[in-house]
Amino acid sequence: VKGIVFNLLEAIVVQQHGDAVWEALLDEAGVDGAYTSLGSYPDEQLFGLVAAAARKLGSSEAEVLRSFGRNAMAILAKRYPEFFDSQVSTQAFLLTLNDIIHPEVRKIYPGAEVPVFDFDTSSPGVLMMGYRSPRKLCALAHGFVEGAAQHYGEPLTFEHSQCMHRGDDRCVFRIAFN
Amino acid sequence: MAPDDAGQGPGGTETELGRLRRSLERERRARVEAESIAERGLRALYEKQQETLLLEAIAAAANEATSLRDTLQLAVDRICQYTGWPVGHVYFCNAGVSPALDLVPSTIWHVAHPTHFDAFRVLTEATPLAPGKGLPGRVAINGQPAWIRDVGTDSNFPRAAGAIEVGLRAACAFPVLTGPHVTAVLEFFSEATSEPNESLLGVMRQIGIQLGRVVERTRAQERLLYDAFHDHLTQLPNRALFMDRLQRAITRRTRYPRYTFAVLFVDLDRFKTVNDSLGHRVGDELLLEITRRLTGALRREDTVSRPAPGAGPEDTDNTLARLGGDEFTLLLEDIRHPSDAVRIAERIREVIAVPMNLGGQEVFASASIGIAVSTSVQGSGEDLVRDADIAMYRAKGLGGDRCAVFDATMHHRAVERLQLETDLRRALERHEFRLAYQPIVSFPDHRVIGFEALVRWQHPEQGELSPAAFLRVAEETGVMTRIDYWVLREACAAARQWQTRFPHDSPTSVSVNLSAHGFGRSDIVRQVADTLQETGLDPPILRLEITESVAMANAERARDILMDLRALGVRISLDDFGTGYSSLSYLQRFPVDTLKIDRSFVVGINQNEECREIIRTILNLAQSLGLEVIAEGTETAAQVHYLEGLGCRFGQGYFFSRPLPLDEIRALLLRGADDKDGVLILPKTASAS
Repeated sequence: VKGIVFNLLEAIVVQQHGDAVWEALLDEAGVDGAYTSLGSYPDEQLFGLVAAAARKLGSSEAEVLRSFGRNAMAILAKRYPEFFDSQVSTQAFLLTLNDIIHPEVRKIYPGAEVPVFDFDTSSPGVLMMGYRSPRKLCALAHGFVEGAAQHYGEPLTFEHSQCMHRGDDRCVFRIAFN
Repeated sequence: MAPDDAGQGPGGTETELGRLRRSLERERRARVEAESIAERGLRALYEKQQETLLLEAIAAAANEATSLRDTLQLAVDRICQYTGWPVGHVYFCNAGVSPALDLVPSTIWHVAHPTHFDAFRVLTEATPLAPGKGLPGRVAINGQPAWIRDVGTDSNFPRAAGAIEVGLRAACAFPVLTGPHVTAVLEFFSEATSEPNESLLGVMRQIGIQLGRVVERTRAQERLLYDAFHDHLTQLPNRALFMDRLQRAITRRTRYPRYTFAVLFVDLDRFKTVNDSLGHRVGDELLLEITRRLTGALRREDTVSRPAPGAGPEDTDNTLARLGGDEFTLLLEDIRHPSDAVRIAERIREVIAVPMNLGGQEVFASASIGIAVSTSVQGSGEDLVRDADIAMYRAKGLGGDRCAVFDATMHHRAVERLQLETDLRRALERHEFRLAYQPIVSFPDHRVIGFEALVRWQHPEQGELSPAAFLRVAEETGVMTRIDYWVLREACAAARQWQTRFPHDSPTSVSVNLSAHGFGRSDIVRQVADTLQETGLDPPILRLEITESVAMANAERARDILMDLRALGVRISLDDFGTGYSSLSYLQRFPVDTLKIDRSFVVGINQNEECREIIRTILNLAQSLGLEVIAEGTETAAQVHYLEGLGCRFGQGYFFSRPLPLDEIRALLLRGADDKDGVLILPKTASAS
């Protein structure tokens, strides 16, 4: 996992719960916490921090990831406004993930393992979004989608119709814009 | 959990803690700043690497390219791959062809989805652009890459509606430059609107230069290829290309037996005269003018002819070629009937006949045209061209300025003639020529006053041939001059022998004919002088005979040459007199000793009053000019009697003696030597038989 993910997590934890909580999470997960956005770090460190946060906050890991994704989007929008400004809606923005945003990610972080989404826009007002990744971070993706919708000020209904955690071979999100 | 509000401790600690916090915050900001600088650097590096890969790929392709089209296709594909833009296309610039068609859409495309952009494709391929018009037009005029943020809001993009329909918004384009010239424009389209990317435009500019190298190289190759198959002066196809097209026509005929074509062989009449008298520059101008007229005439033909079966669009034109010199050939494809070929040949003669002004001089040209039609032969392309050539020679032989269609008998005649020509060239080396001597006799005593040397060719297969059988070929091939000189030397040597062996007070003369070619040679006077010197012959014994028509053809020049010859001491006869329309004024000034009445008048004495009148006139004329007259072709006693009666003093013909071989002349001279007066009288019994 790229260091930027840890940086985002730290920023959100510190912002919402303060420095001490972040320090506590680091201790509990047994990591030293020196992350630079350009570095790569073992996946286990991220999962360890998420698990620690869930315990500390009395929440599920999925909820932590979803909340993380939702909050991270606001930070990303501030840091990389061009990807958000060039699109007019949540759906349009999500559709640029494969062709614009992830290729850009790879330019900056050579070797970054980004997921490939599949999209189906055949029903008006509904975006079917498929996700498949060995990290099974569908909850994070859920949060990112919600964060994007917040950015564009669009209410949405999110339905996690298939999930790898429930034994499906991939996750499918049915996202309806009202 | 509430945010941890640190800094609650005692004042000193609080201050220290606050300071540490600020310091930590600064460090954090510095790290984020450093990271974002690094990110920008990495991103720039990545893009630079991709650019380099793209440029390298295109430069490598450009270095190895043999086809411009393939290289452009590769460039369009690679650029679309690099930019992620779904559509790329090439316009070609045809500067100077037609202002309205300066930018012509090619069929070179990159499209990401096979059918999605079809409508735009069709629209583009139907949209040639004037300079300045649309995106390619702008690039063509400025020679610089250009970018359109959104074709929907651009004021100069004619294909906007079609582009928007298939979802294309941003566009950019760049020129392929050879030197300062834009030879093609590559255009690309994105599905999103997009701000100009200066870095990308820079890369495109460089790609345009790389592609320009390919244009230059392929053009040079095309030029070399073109030169190898075209005539330098007229830019018409040359023999090699003509034969190739002809071969294709022959192949087509084997597949489509009703397909008929014709080969026309066009040769200008008297082109050499134009070249010699007006100079090669004017000669070249003439050829260029003829080329323009022929292509013009054929272009009008093409508009009414139909394409050949199984022919591609490039095959429909008739092929006009220049084989060299003033020889043009024309391949008429898919004519309906052989008469079409004749009609076109006559049309060609018409356009050539229109007077032309060359170098301030009005020049009249005409052509002889030979026609060979594919129906008449089964042979090769070479055979067809040869047949058309033979027919052309036939047209020339009939006086030129006409057409002749090849038929098989012409081939026989041509082969015979070629054989004769070949034999004739060898005849001198093989000593196949002999001289016969016909006595010239005085009236009424029948005394021999001289001999006319007449050449005979002992042909190895055809036996003895008189000049009539080979004179024309000998003159046309230039062998005649050599024969003239051989006769001159042989006759002078013989006469010198007779002089030595049979010395006489009034020695018999020897007459030698000079052909038009021999007389026209600039070295004729020197040749005669040399021959006289080498043989040691007394000059007055030699009589040189030229025909009246040769003398009158260029009377001034003839007079000069005759004066020079006379200055050597030889005597001059005008042969075939009465047929050449002499100008009396010239005749007076010609240094001539003898007129020889043409045999046609002598033969006509008995039947034709007109002949008798002409003979009387010639005799009167000769008397008043103080010239001798010899009547040729005297065959009967009646003719001799009549001539004597008019005061003609000399004759020559079968009545007196046929031409005799050298040994019989010797015998004759030997008998004369026995005569007590040394007078040589022909035995009556030997003649008139």
